[in-house]
Amino acid sequence: MSSVGQPTAGPAKTGSAGAAAVRRAVIVGGNRIPFARSGGAYAKSSNQDMLTAALDGLIARFGLQDERLGEVAAGAVLKHSRDFNLTREAVLGSALSAETPAYDLQQACATGLETVVGLANKIKLGQIESAIAAGVDSASDAPVVVSEGLRAVILDLNRARTIPQRLQILSRLRPKDLAPLAPGTAEPRTGLSMGEHQALTTAQWKISRAAQDELAFNSHRNLAAAYDAGFFDDLVTPYRGLARDGNLRADTSLEKLGTLKPVFGKGLGADATMTAGNSTPLTDGAATVLLASDEWADAHDLPKLAAVVDAEAAAVDFVHGKDGLLMAPVFAVPRLLARQGLTLDDIDFFEIHEAFAATVLSTLAAWEDEEFCRTRLGLPGALGSIDRSRLNVHGSSLAAGHPFAATGGRIVASLAKMLHQKGSTEGRPARGLVSVCAAGGQGVVAILESL
Amino acid sequence: MSTGQPVILGEMPSLSKLYVNAAAQAARRRILGAHDLPALPGDSHEVRGVAVDVGNLTAYQHLVGETASDVLPAGFIHALSFPLAMSVLNRDDFPLPLLGMIHLSNTVENLRPLVFTDTLDMTSRVENLRGHRAGTQVDVVTEVRQAGRALPCWRGVSTYLAKGVFLPGIDKPSTAPARPDFTAPDPTASWQLGVDTGRAYAAVSGDFNPIHLSVLSAKALGMRRSIAHGMYLASRALADVGPARGDAFTWDVSFDAPVFLPCRVALEIRSTHGGGAEPGRSDFVAWSPRSGRRHFAGSVTAL
Repeated sequence: MSSVGQPTAGPAKTGSAGAAAVRRAVIVGGNRIPFARSGGAYAKSSNQDMLTAALDGLIARFGLQDERLGEVAAGAVLKHSRDFNLTREAVLGSALSAETPAYDLQQACATGLETVVGLANKIKLGQIESAIAAGVDSASDAPVVVSEGLRAVILDLNRARTIPQRLQILSRLRPKDLAPLAPGTAEPRTGLSMGEHQALTTAQWKISRAAQDELAFNSHRNLAAAYDAGFFDDLVTPYRGLARDGNLRADTSLEKLGTLKPVFGKGLGADATMTAGNSTPLTDGAATVLLASDEWADAHDLPKLAAVVDAEAAAVDFVHGKDGLLMAPVFAVPRLLARQGLTLDDIDFFEIHEAFAATVLSTLAAWEDEEFCRTRLGLPGALGSIDRSRLNVHGSSLAAGHPFAATGGRIVASLAKMLHQKGSTEGRPARGLVSVCAAGGQGVVAILESL
Repeated sequence: MSTGQPVILGEMPSLSKLYVNAAAQAARRRILGAHDLPALPGDSHEVRGVAVDVGNLTAYQHLVGETASDVLPAGFIHALSFPLAMSVLNRDDFPLPLLGMIHLSNTVENLRPLVFTDTLDMTSRVENLRGHRAGTQVDVVTEVRQAGRALPCWRGVSTYLAKGVFLPGIDKPSTAPARPDFTAPDPTASWQLGVDTGRAYAAVSGDFNPIHLSVLSAKALGMRRSIAHGMYLASRALADVGPARGDAFTWDVSFDAPVFLPCRVALEIRSTHGGGAEPGRSDFVAWSPRSGRRHFAGSVTAL
């Protein structure tokens, strides 16, 4: 185990058989339903309902009725145990051919992006020609489980053979065992919520309240402008009366954001700076992305917006505070850039998931910190600064909301469209970088390139 | 001090009988007056062929946050050998009252891993009777071996304080060691301890000391509320250190303010990976996020 950092030198290229032989995986387009605040318009919709709605919108947009696709992959973070085959069930309930296979995937908030990466790799390897990558989450229709005491009694009752055994097992039940448990947002190994974890990182990197509020304000302003410009017209299908994301506050202002009271980090030495305004709310929603080989897209006369170039996952040892819970992308991005021979200056659009405004700002601060980059990332100096005008230009999770597993699909579909619109720049394809942090100290990042 | 030959007990003593006996002994001493000499019994107590109940092991592991592996957690061995240790403190020739003794600190050397299929021999003795500014303290030393083997796999030293008991000939330290001021660091973990925390640990450890069980039973013994078992807290901290501790380690803990239930406990756990000659080491400290008082602190060091 490395005792200091995570050196940036990527895995060595093994032989010449790999890179040259693989073909391209392209993003045809995407579709999502507007994201709703928890307990709002989708309060009674299940994960399966929302995923099916998002799939059906995508199917309608690209004429995929009765089409047998290579594979569909999706997942949810808050998932009922009965939904072990959530994606396959959604496919069966959609207009796709019932002969389309599907699998579920779960990597906390990186679920959606990881489905894109995994399916794109299958396409690149020639295993499949077409795929839908997706994600869904409902904070409203969350699973509630029985207590450990009741669960143990029910399981033991199933195994009991005689009536006296059953009575003996039942006698173990206590009134408190009947109270159900709601899902918590605490990290299992630390007992701290994600917000409390980020508050530690926020204090460590000395991220100011004003900078967080400004990022949140820009997110709302940019998302509202994108809706007004019709950017989401071919990316979003209305559902349950919502046509825009329910969390979007087009009329918010820095003054309004400044009046909110801090909710995380109140017990720490530093001032608490994280509010409900600069943290993402609990949200319901689903997002999908259509992926294909060039041949399949051409044969179906479908657009090709961008290519999935490469991806990298990272994880940090957050349990005892060595790194912040949400800082894994800080390590993944330099490794990915190094493997592709790129720098931050070669990226035209940065999509850094706004779990909290402070998550984005801590990430940027780490990349600007020479000592951190030298000692922890193994770089000769600071990775560098990014041009803020290239960051989350059509808004991100602070404004749109963050139905955990749906965020990756939202970002990839939007970024692919942005890249396609930009086309080429300086004689090269436009490039976009996606960065998504996830619970458990994980992160997945990817590079897309315009077509 | 030891006479060499241990007193071999036929089976693991019953903790509840020990507690009842301790109460009776306390009453007897109150009526008859204590004629205690400030000397410790030299005999050690030994039990042989102790088997582990795997169901009990699993329940213990899940309660303190250990993965249910076949290896016995260091804290589980403490719980397993605890009745034997108590039986030494319960001897008529032991000069301090067992009831009301306060667990000040604990050190365990987990020398080599034991698994649940091992049959265990255990020996306990008391030593190092000495003064404390608030009374008299004593160490209980327990060694656990694989049955029939000579080398200990596990060695624990528990230091207890008999508060307000001053024995003739044992001087208390002239100056109270200055307690360093504690400033809470930023937490790396947070525990929500329910009111049933003491009952749950009693069920897996067998330590049904009334001060841990309920508000009523704790009040009967003069506590305002029930308190968490010290070894429960220390065992959870050890579990939180996780695989960084390795197979062989020393695990130290010293207890400060008691943890009254229910409550929230904040912790800082820091691990430094052993590089080169440095052994890997984790330090933990726990405090009340409400009052800022320290509950306990300790370390786990690779051997």
